[in-house]
Amino acid sequence: MHRLYVVPTLIINVVIILLPAMLTIALAFFRWDGITAPSFVGLQNFRELWADNVFWTALTNNIIWTAIFLTLPIAMGLLAATMLLIARRGSLFFQVIYFLPMIIATAIIARIWQGMIYSPVSGINGLLQRFGLPTYDPLTQPSTALLGIATVDLWHWWGFLCVIFFAALRQVPQEHIEAARIEGANFWQMMRYVLLPAIRPTITLMMIMTVIWSFLVFDFVYILTQGGPAFSSEVLSTMAYRSAFYDLAVGKAAAVAIVISLFGLAATAFYIQAQAREFEE
Amino acid sequence: MERRVFLKTSLALTAGTVLTSPLLAQSKQPVSWWYETATPANQRHIQELIIDKFNEQHPEYNLTVDYRGGELDKQMRVALLSGTGPDVVYTAGPSYVAPMAQAGQLLALDDYAEKYGWNDRILPVFLEMGRYEGTLYALPKTYETLGLFYNKSLFDEHGWATPTTIAELETLADKMLEANIVPFSAGNAQWRPANEHYVTIALNSIAGPENVHKALTGELPWTAEPFVAAITKLNDWWQKGYFGRNYFSLTIEQAFAEMASGRAGMHPGGTWQFQHLPTYFTSQNLEAGFVGFPSADEIGDPIFPLGVGSTFSIAAQAQNPDGAAAVIDYVFSDELYGAMNSVWQGEWNTPLRDLSKVEISGEVSPVYSATMEELAKSVDESEYGYTTWTFMPPATNTYLVSGIEEVWLGRTTVEDFLAQLDSRFRQEMAEGKVPAIPAR
Repeated sequence: MHRLYVVPTLIINVVIILLPAMLTIALAFFRWDGITAPSFVGLQNFRELWADNVFWTALTNNIIWTAIFLTLPIAMGLLAATMLLIARRGSLFFQVIYFLPMIIATAIIARIWQGMIYSPVSGINGLLQRFGLPTYDPLTQPSTALLGIATVDLWHWWGFLCVIFFAALRQVPQEHIEAARIEGANFWQMMRYVLLPAIRPTITLMMIMTVIWSFLVFDFVYILTQGGPAFSSEVLSTMAYRSAFYDLAVGKAAAVAIVISLFGLAATAFYIQAQAREFEE
Repeated sequence: MERRVFLKTSLALTAGTVLTSPLLAQSKQPVSWWYETATPANQRHIQELIIDKFNEQHPEYNLTVDYRGGELDKQMRVALLSGTGPDVVYTAGPSYVAPMAQAGQLLALDDYAEKYGWNDRILPVFLEMGRYEGTLYALPKTYETLGLFYNKSLFDEHGWATPTTIAELETLADKMLEANIVPFSAGNAQWRPANEHYVTIALNSIAGPENVHKALTGELPWTAEPFVAAITKLNDWWQKGYFGRNYFSLTIEQAFAEMASGRAGMHPGGTWQFQHLPTYFTSQNLEAGFVGFPSADEIGDPIFPLGVGSTFSIAAQAQNPDGAAAVIDYVFSDELYGAMNSVWQGEWNTPLRDLSKVEISGEVSPVYSATMEELAKSVDESEYGYTTWTFMPPATNTYLVSGIEEVWLGRTTVEDFLAQLDSRFRQEMAEGKVPAIPAR
């Protein structure tokens, strides 16, 4: 009888996730413009992706993005959270300040950075240029466009990690910290031997989620550069979107979506395994 | 006593209104139309000049316009696929019509065309563009062209003349660079497809419209020499810095403002930019000019590439197809042409055959009127050029937008870019996705 309780959520999951997912997988083997009847083409969409330079650029960009977000914001978040733990005074104020960008809509953040910071006409960048400094808009150079977008996302994201890590750190038993202090542990030793091991499950979860989210990144890229200039900041999701809605190649977009899902699936499998291990422990 | 009478009367009136309003509303058949983005001022124009006027003239219908923003075409595709969506189907251009007609999502308009006399009132070239396998499915809402805006005040100050040949254009642009003025104010920050405005200009003004027509009809590959020359020239301009260093940072409107500020001299752009003249030029006591973009010597006169930004159709599953046809007919009336073009230029240039009965208020820029007349003449004489967004199939066109950036930024060669473009075009041509190309 109690199994019936899962039925409502199961229905929602089947209708909203499973069916569209199955349809997407099926569509990857069809050529379809989203309007007329689809025609079966086997593996052709995947073969086209394999031969498409833009696909490899997008995949590489997703991997670079993942590498950036697995390191920088997590390191910044951990450092700031530890600082908040040590210097309790004003910690609430800093938590609010760090967390604030998280509650602003991504579209607004992107437009603020684009127009008020990066823009050579209306932004701080333009002001610096007028003072004769040789600055440039990072979004306009193929070599820096992705980093320019990552900076915006980083600004908005790291504070969230900081607050999560701070919450986890506050659960570390005070006796452990005090014992380490009495033993004469310095800041790095405290981090290495007491705090980090204590919040390891939280860090692992955040890292796995980072991998999943990094392969889903779309909004900042689409608003700031739409994958440009010259595909230099293209990621898999913007490529799928462009294929589906501009090229009217829904089959190819579905094939890209499957590649995105594979990375998400790998991360999810890893997470489930890690969780299972924790339960056993 | 008087008070009681007043109360009774008020109650009776209120009850009457409450009871009869739904009945009145029910007797009016709704007609729905999804529109793209419009500024609050332009939404007011639509409300006053279209919705209110139409509903007044057609008491049997109740027209509503829903603003769906920049993603209208995607919403429309999904809605039509699921059999919902509005009665009036507003697409982003003729290239979207063919697949919709192919899928049976649009109603054939031939009977309505006969009933309302559209065949006589609308320029034949545009009717041809709305046909699929001989049946009329769409009417182009507005037509537009590209040319060269310039800051006349700046030109007068420096004693510069408007260029009439490519050589003159390049000499002038070099002079501007020396004077630290950006020759072409341009930008694609919020609208990446702005790239195709410049590709369109290069293809038509350097390769020539005859060659573009041959390529669009499959007679000539896009890798042919005239196109290599055209894209090479466009790339040379980019490399020389004609487009300035802020191209990827500026929006089209900001770029237009740069020209007004004198930091840039010319703006290769579309006739829809006429709407910005009052804000950036007239209000600042500045003067702007507009000429056809100079052509290569062997082509001669400037070419005006023909563009159609959006089209009207009726959904096959429309709740009220007759109402939708009446709305479309109203949009193509002399009355609306005059009223709309008096307040909002560039977006409502409906392809009417005879504009002699149209009354436009005297505030409209004479340059705009002259340009539209010139365009109508070149369409009539079949001397117009082809905008890529109107005549290229979708995947070829999106590749063109990003591909030209790869050329500019040295990530591919002109030849490779054109080879890729040609291969996509061939594939889409085989799939029947190339829009109807009128004969020259």
